[in-house]
Amino acid sequence: MASIKLNHVAKHFGTKVAISDVDLDVTDGEFLVLLGPSGCGKSTLLRMLAGLETVSSGEIHLGDRRVDQLPPSARDMAFVFQSYALYPHMSVRRNIAFPLIMRQFKWWFHIPLIGGWAKRRIERSPEVADLVEKTAKTLSLTEMLDRYPRTLSGGQRQRVALGRAMVRKPEVFLMDEPLSNLDAKLRTAMRAEITRLHQRVGGTFVYVTHDQVEAMTMGTRIALMRDGVVQQFGTPREIYTSPANTYVARFIGTPPMNLIEGSIDAGMIKFGEATLALPQALAAAGRSTGRAPVLLGIRPNALTLAAPGGQGQLAGTVSLVEHVGAESVVAVKLSHAATAHDEEGAVAGEIMITTQGYSELKPGDPVSVVPDLSEAVLFSRSTGEQLRAGLALAA
Amino acid sequence: MTDAALRQPQLSRSPIARSERTARLDGNPWTPYLFAAPVVLYLLLFQGYPLLRELMLSFTQTSLLTPQTSHFVGMRNYAELAARPDFWRVIGVTALYTAICVVLAIALGLGAALLLDRPFRGRGIARALVTIPWAAPPVAVATVFAWMLNAQYGIFNHWLKLLDLEIGYESWLDNPRLALPAILFTTIWQIFPFSSVVLLAALQGVSEEVREAAQIDGADKLSIFKVAVWPTIRPTVALLVLFVTIWSLRRFDLIWVMTQGGPIGATKTLVIELYTRAFVARELGEAAAVGMVGLSIALVVTVVYFWATQRAERAEGRR
Amino acid sequence: MRSPTSQAIRMALILILLSVSVFPIYWMVVTSLTSSANLFADTPQLLPDPAQAFNYADTFSHTGVLVWLRNSAIVAIGTMVLSILLAILPAYALSRFRFRGKGALGFLLFATQMLPEAMLVVPLYAIFANLALLDTLGGLILANTAFTVPVITWILKGAIDGVPMEIEEAARVDGCSRIGIVLQVVVPVVAPTLAAASVIAFFHGWNEYVFAQTLVSSQDLRTASVGLASFVGELSTPIHTVMAIGVMYTLPAVLFYLMVQRYVVAGMTAGSVKG
Repeated sequence: MASIKLNHVAKHFGTKVAISDVDLDVTDGEFLVLLGPSGCGKSTLLRMLAGLETVSSGEIHLGDRRVDQLPPSARDMAFVFQSYALYPHMSVRRNIAFPLIMRQFKWWFHIPLIGGWAKRRIERSPEVADLVEKTAKTLSLTEMLDRYPRTLSGGQRQRVALGRAMVRKPEVFLMDEPLSNLDAKLRTAMRAEITRLHQRVGGTFVYVTHDQVEAMTMGTRIALMRDGVVQQFGTPREIYTSPANTYVARFIGTPPMNLIEGSIDAGMIKFGEATLALPQALAAAGRSTGRAPVLLGIRPNALTLAAPGGQGQLAGTVSLVEHVGAESVVAVKLSHAATAHDEEGAVAGEIMITTQGYSELKPGDPVSVVPDLSEAVLFSRSTGEQLRAGLALAA
Repeated sequence: MTDAALRQPQLSRSPIARSERTARLDGNPWTPYLFAAPVVLYLLLFQGYPLLRELMLSFTQTSLLTPQTSHFVGMRNYAELAARPDFWRVIGVTALYTAICVVLAIALGLGAALLLDRPFRGRGIARALVTIPWAAPPVAVATVFAWMLNAQYGIFNHWLKLLDLEIGYESWLDNPRLALPAILFTTIWQIFPFSSVVLLAALQGVSEEVREAAQIDGADKLSIFKVAVWPTIRPTVALLVLFVTIWSLRRFDLIWVMTQGGPIGATKTLVIELYTRAFVARELGEAAAVGMVGLSIALVVTVVYFWATQRAERAEGRR
Repeated sequence: MRSPTSQAIRMALILILLSVSVFPIYWMVVTSLTSSANLFADTPQLLPDPAQAFNYADTFSHTGVLVWLRNSAIVAIGTMVLSILLAILPAYALSRFRFRGKGALGFLLFATQMLPEAMLVVPLYAIFANLALLDTLGGLILANTAFTVPVITWILKGAIDGVPMEIEEAARVDGCSRIGIVLQVVVPVVAPTLAAASVIAFFHGWNEYVFAQTLVSSQDLRTASVGLASFVGELSTPIHTVMAIGVMYTLPAVLFYLMVQRYVVAGMTAGSVKG
């Protein structure tokens, strides 16, 4: 049983709060991705799981064991480091066998010569040797077993690091941005390899990344963090289609979700002079706010461009066109509506629209934007939280 | 600068690429020679030439009193040295002194470096204070240690008496059994900060992640040191072994001021013997032969060092 | 994850380490400020006695310590200046050029580390006699510099290795000559290391004993190292006077070192760690 349960886990460095009150429930065999910008606490959380950082308060359970006070080696978790952390003076074979040797380690192994002999004996014993060979074969490292890490490429080193983790058959694999030191092409290949590895060896994976593509493609669930707080914990699909707040909305998706300011009145949403009818679900969600301003969250591909001047359309002018091969991204400055944006700063008043093919539009062209509200979401203007129908009833 | 340079992969800052780039700056192939010429001439004049004279002197019989009249005697000085038992004792004392200096100065330096590596309040001050012995002039160190080791009034014997040890009032520097340990103690006190400072810099290169990987793989503290710390600092330790060896073979002032090689030769290293031969026995030829023997030992150590480091590098696939 | 006990042991070890490092210097100061009566008391006096400060006044008037310190300072500064002047260009050449004989130059520099001063002192005596350098402070400077210049060159080479090539290329484009590049661009960039190297050369000159003992004979050209050593084993001078001279010789060096140690350590390790 390798379910992981975090109960009110927090971490302080002096007065600085790195992690505040994290609750996560990860079931056996899941691939959890901790996603967030640098400094959000995701690596700290992972290191607390591994036992490399102490827990300031709260509990961590692995299956039915409480592990937060145990030393790292007693937790049955493997850790794959960003820099791979291979032992530079050991061959690939010894690197992979090392955790197994440590398992049988006796104090007298520290005696020179005798210790070396004992370690070699363990390394050559059938159960260890077979396991190392098998692991190497799985990762196509067989030819490199007797080479030193220094002579391997980045991708090969990465696979050795994975092998060192796999060979222990741990209940939990912890990975700290393992792909960030690889070039883009290799990263895509290794992404698939890790996903396959997860399917084959089973076990629970916890994977830290700042790359939303990795998170969306690999995770069975994602915990998106910011400033030590989990913003949303859900499947990639939930996080994409129904972000819990404007921060999540802007973090996921390229270009990110547009947030357009408006107000709700009797099942209708008004943006400046334009008025649109809300679908039933959104209307129900919007009812709770009364007339307070809201943000309409809508993905760039749910917007289409039309000739200016139709009903239920937002008027604006094209400010920038980017061609990305199969599709074009058009930035439009709305004439009558403001847009919200994250601190990284999309230009105020602009929204992004992706259209298929090569757009012939030029900056300055007047256009109107037709939103498809079936997959849109509403956020409170003041709190940034998503407005949901269920919550409205409760309120 | 140090750390960055140490961690740089060798490829990106290849000296060859850089030299070719700088050579393109101007076409004059003589520039490096012009730049190096003054120092080469200087060293040839004040080190190379005296060394040559010393080498020639070692084949002669020359007195300090009448240096103009020297007789060529071939290898006789060397043969006489080899035949004298007290010279072999000098070699023995030198070897013992050097070996213990190397082992203890580096071991203590490493211990101090490991203690001062991890952050704690006041670490900066501690790091500065620990290097004080290295900044103190050797003659002053010798003087104060001789005073502290004084048989009747020295603070060491006072402490020993407080501890109720029977050996109180030992005259450390006059006792043939205790003089070398006392000299070693003083030497190591003076030089261990050097290894400590150098090793502290080397410890910056230890990867925190490798340390943690070993921790997760279930390694105990000593194993963590062996797999994560030692491989990183090993080249530095090897370099320290070389330097401490060479410097111990050369060390004169500390020993001379404290014991002048005595009592009855207990602390007489090659350099002390050389100086005594030249300025007390006034036999410049014999003194020069002693110097050449010492130099040969230093050369052998150096050659072994370069041979061993290159072999280690090949073994790890660095070349 | 460290237990409080292991933390406590660690701090205790650090305290012991620091006490051992500092005690002999402290003891020098204490002895210099101890009255003649207390010097030979059964229980040594463990704290300095400020009332004994007149010891220092006596030391000034009864020994040549001021002259000795002046001579040491002259030798140290001379060694420092000459070493730096000689080392900059070869350090630059070792760092920036590829040329035939570069390996030999490196070896020559390293080889000097193997030579004991005591071995060279006899032939140097003869050479200095011919050059009329015997019994001069200038001679000491020349002899010391031969030992410091290789170290300084090596340290500076390490620092110049870290200077980006682009800075020099920019200066070149701006019409700077090679010497101009070295003096106006490279030297200012490596100034901190240059300072560290200067300190190391200064210390070598300040500490040096064999040459000062052998190549100089006049009383008024003695350096502090020779002056201080002359009291060892001699019984007529009280030990607090000897220690007062020791303090005057050691303390300026140690205090100076503590002020600049950050740079010295950085500069020294730059050269030595890379090897």
